[in-house]
Amino acid sequence: MISRLQRTRALAWAAAPLAVGLVTAGGRRAGVNPPTIESIYMVLVLGLAAWGGWAVGATASIAAMLCFNYFFLPPLGTLTIAEPANWVALVSFLAASTFASRLVATARRQAEEAQRRRREVEILYDLCFGLFAASQHPGVLGAAAARTLRAVGAETGALFLDAAEPVSRVGEERLEIDPFRLAQARETREVSTAGPGGELRTAYVPLHVGGILNGVLVARGRLASRAVLEPAGRLLALAVERERLLAESAHLAAVRESDTLKTSLLRAVSHDLRTPLTAMRLEIESLDRQLADHPQARASVEGLSLEQERLARRIDNLLSLARLEAGVARPHPEPVPASFLFRAARESLALILAGRPVEVRVEPRCADLWADPSLTLEVLVNLLENAARAAPPGRPIELAAAPDPDSPRRVRVEVRDRGPGLPAGVRRLVESPRELRPTGEAGDSASGGLGLQIARGLAEANGGALALLDRPGGGTIARLTLPAAAETELEPEPGPEEVLP
Amino acid sequence: MIRANPLILVVDDDPSIRQTLTRELALAGYDAVAGADGLEGRALFEERRPDLVITDLAMPRADGHAVIAAVRRVDRTPVIVLSVRGEEEDKVRALDLGADDYVTKPFSLRELLARVRTQLRRYGAGAVPEVLRFPGLEIDRARRAVVQEGREVRLTPTELAILELLASHAGRPVTLRQIIATVWKGAPATTSDTVRVHVGSLRRKLEPDPANPRYIGTEPWVGYRFLAEPEN
Repeated sequence: MISRLQRTRALAWAAAPLAVGLVTAGGRRAGVNPPTIESIYMVLVLGLAAWGGWAVGATASIAAMLCFNYFFLPPLGTLTIAEPANWVALVSFLAASTFASRLVATARRQAEEAQRRRREVEILYDLCFGLFAASQHPGVLGAAAARTLRAVGAETGALFLDAAEPVSRVGEERLEIDPFRLAQARETREVSTAGPGGELRTAYVPLHVGGILNGVLVARGRLASRAVLEPAGRLLALAVERERLLAESAHLAAVRESDTLKTSLLRAVSHDLRTPLTAMRLEIESLDRQLADHPQARASVEGLSLEQERLARRIDNLLSLARLEAGVARPHPEPVPASFLFRAARESLALILAGRPVEVRVEPRCADLWADPSLTLEVLVNLLENAARAAPPGRPIELAAAPDPDSPRRVRVEVRDRGPGLPAGVRRLVESPRELRPTGEAGDSASGGLGLQIARGLAEANGGALALLDRPGGGTIARLTLPAAAETELEPEPGPEEVLP
Repeated sequence: MIRANPLILVVDDDPSIRQTLTRELALAGYDAVAGADGLEGRALFEERRPDLVITDLAMPRADGHAVIAAVRRVDRTPVIVLSVRGEEEDKVRALDLGADDYVTKPFSLRELLARVRTQLRRYGAGAVPEVLRFPGLEIDRARRAVVQEGREVRLTPTELAILELLASHAGRPVTLRQIIATVWKGAPATTSDTVRVHVGSLRRKLEPDPANPRYIGTEPWVGYRFLAEPEN
């Protein structure tokens, strides 16, 4: 392929002798005086040098000098240079042609450079527009890679993300991937090209932006320069990044939607279950008042009341656990004194515990618990309720809180009864509820099993653990281990001006 | 308005709760009217001007928060919220909107009637007296002195401010946000942990048995409630 520049040069070479001859012949015929013809030669040399470059200009200046000397300078018809002034003419012809050709060459080089830059910018701009125009649909990494490859002049190529296998290939030909160069591009994050310039080459372009490597683009073809490959790689890296973010945000939106659904479903269930329970509760109390004079009937109402409370608690437990497991609610831990929990648990089981001795033992140096008060109270009420059902009347139930001897950062809260101890089925159920679902044979003896299982779930959600132990001397110890609250820093003791009278 | 019995407005979307509550309130010596949702509740409040409002939170059309806002636009009529466990954020929001107290479904009638009495008594009483008297505790607001079982308790200004706020709302829950807004004037750096630390030290100075508080009770998720009954 002959370039435009080469064609221009050839033309200038052909034109040079013609032009010098024409000027000489014209000058001779018109009888122009030497200074005038000298200027005309000068213009001619300048023009040829500008047109065809320095070599043409230099050749033309020598030819012009010879013609000038031979035809116009006395003695005419010889190449003798009689006067030193004529040397000056020769040198000025040469100098002029050199300057002119240099100037023109520089200007041309700059114009070419500017052209090339413009083409590069055009390529990148088109690529940028193609990759990021608003109309671009998400989920088309393959299309983005193809567009980038086309823009950098590649015929075949492949896009690699994290894996060793490409996520997309472009082109008919089979592209050989060099795993070493692929790894190198990932490692060094520099464009590597192989093969002679202007010919078929393979480039490994790392796609990195903001310090993060998003993949590698392998391109083969008559590729654009490194100055294009590098920014094109960055653009594609941005496209990959955007793709990833879009996928992430779609996922987040889906998660959020399902969370909203779960929340509203749980709310509806909670409302629908608790409203009839509330109505029941109110009716029971009303009945209790109306039956003031019928002690036997009142005993039945009290039984009804107990069962209503139990049902309400179970529903509360299940909903709490469902909310925690669905991720709709998170425990809000705060410092809670064990004695507060014990008192609240006894209050909410007032009816069941009526006439039953409960002993509370909180060690004086026992730290507060770091726990969600409502959830922990639920667990404790469950354990206390189980103990109350298991323990024979008259035998006290013990509520105890003490620092965990195994870990100073934890507190042990225990509910101890003198009941028959736990049936094996219940213990298995609590200890490994995931493997062992309540079966028919374990089901009946596992009354309280559901409550314990829930208690265990709530305890764990609260950052604690629940264990059931045989109590020396008969009965069961339900041991809840929870984190201890950090000793809070107190307000500094007031200075004198702050002390109240 | 002169009434023989205090008038109580009940707003709940469940008919059986409306029915039982109006009946039981009537038996307890109150007049009661009931609305099925927030819009009815608002209309009844504006028409009848009850002495106390009991409202559910989750209701169709307009919810309990709308009822509270409608009442608070007019006056300080006490509002008791019927909340549901697991909707603690709603409850706190209701209290911050201006509700005075809450009971949690399924609540007992006894509990609700006790809350109603506390609210009506507070509303009937005039301004908070200079000296707040409770069993075994006296808070002189003018002298800034606290006397407990005859001995003077030395409190920091912050502790005193918290105590005054809680004691002047005796029997009613005070949310952490209300405490921060009143005591710290809503200083942005104040967190609920700061409040807990100060309440902890207040309890240590004030309570005969800090682990078993007689005066300052904790309301899980919400804040605190002054437990003692005022004597004046």
